[in-house]
Amino acid sequence: MNPWPFVIAAYGLGIAAILVLLVLSWRGMRRAEAAVEHERERERAR
Amino acid sequence: MHRFANPARFLRIARPATGWTLWPGLVLSLAGFIGGLFFVPADYLQGDSFRILYLHAPAAWLGMAGWSGLAIAGIATLVWRHPLAALAGRAVAPVGALFAAICLASGSIWGRPTWGTWWEWDGRLTSMLVLFFLYLAYIALADAERARGPDSEGRIAAIFGLVGAVNLPIIHYSVIWWNTLHQGRSISIVEGRSSIDPSMLWPLGLTFVGLTLLFVAITLMRMRADIARIKLAMRLQRRAEAAR
Amino acid sequence: MTAAPKTQRLLLVILAIAALAGAALLALWGLQGRAAYFVTPSEIAAGRVEPGVPLRLGGMVSAGSIAPVGDGNSFRFRLEDETATTTVRYRGILPDLFVEGSGAVAEGRLLANGEFAADRILAKHDENYMPPELAERAERATAETVAAP
Repeated sequence: MNPWPFVIAAYGLGIAAILVLLVLSWRGMRRAEAAVEHERERERAR
Repeated sequence: MHRFANPARFLRIARPATGWTLWPGLVLSLAGFIGGLFFVPADYLQGDSFRILYLHAPAAWLGMAGWSGLAIAGIATLVWRHPLAALAGRAVAPVGALFAAICLASGSIWGRPTWGTWWEWDGRLTSMLVLFFLYLAYIALADAERARGPDSEGRIAAIFGLVGAVNLPIIHYSVIWWNTLHQGRSISIVEGRSSIDPSMLWPLGLTFVGLTLLFVAITLMRMRADIARIKLAMRLQRRAEAAR
Repeated sequence: MTAAPKTQRLLLVILAIAALAGAALLALWGLQGRAAYFVTPSEIAAGRVEPGVPLRLGGMVSAGSIAPVGDGNSFRFRLEDETATTTVRYRGILPDLFVEGSGAVAEGRLLANGEFAADRILAKHDENYMPPELAERAERATAETVAAP
């Protein structure tokens, strides 16, 4: 049995899953922190 | 103990630490994967399919380390009422669940060409699957508890995190206590022993350290997002009260 | 004397952990025999296995024991552990990693004559990983040690 399809499938799945969670968490963090910053600016403006 | 209780103080460390863990984590993981896939000799018995090891073993370690984190956060919540502990637990759980899932999926794919089966209900495989389901339960529990309001302090999830930690030694010793299809452990840090030939070992060190750093980076991002959301909710509430 | 609430909670959590660990240990103790994924040839030799009951048998494939039977699609080989050996009959395709001197698990049942009839074979491998040249060298070294008087 050629092992490479199995190796590629395992790494493809694993790396894709890690990157997806990484990007989602990064975006969630940036958005949440930007919202706080935005709110602070608005408060200061008044 | 309450040195880090102040979110501002925590953030002063967490902000730079996100970058310090993210970039080295990405570089080391990538280097380890490339080394394990292309630069290390094939195994005498398994051939090239053994290369899945460089993903599978660190994923297993992180799946288990993640739950150890939940247990520690649980103790900090229950004993010291540490305000960041419940938040840390909520941030760690999805990351730990992801690595447990990667461990199960990569192990299943590795099992087909070597053992001749995708899945068998042996002690190691079953206890690892149980860990994954425990993560799902923890995530659901912590979310439900949080939705109830800020005064519940995450105590139910904390208790669940402690109880679930019973599964960790079962996973670890399953290959010793019972006859399993899964092989015994190759590396013992305590005994300083490795049954992986040194020429095949170096990428494993890289992926262990690299993926651990990525785990920390993702957890920090999730904690920072959670703190920001709480801060925003508090500000909005304060403003609404002031306007009244 | 009353301890601080923090200390009280710490004691309570430690007690709860101890109780939990104890309960888990007891449960595992009860599970010990039943959670095994396979039985071993020495358990068969000790008469602890009923003939005819579906089960798995695990062991090392004895050196030089794999022999085709009849049409070439059936095989006979021996599985051994430290103390005992069981002969296994199997009809079907053997997995790639099924080699002499390596581990295997056979799914089937014990026959009245003490042989094991398998419907399915899984290859087992151990925790040693090494390059082929090194394995060859190690094998030669063992062969020389065995050959020497």
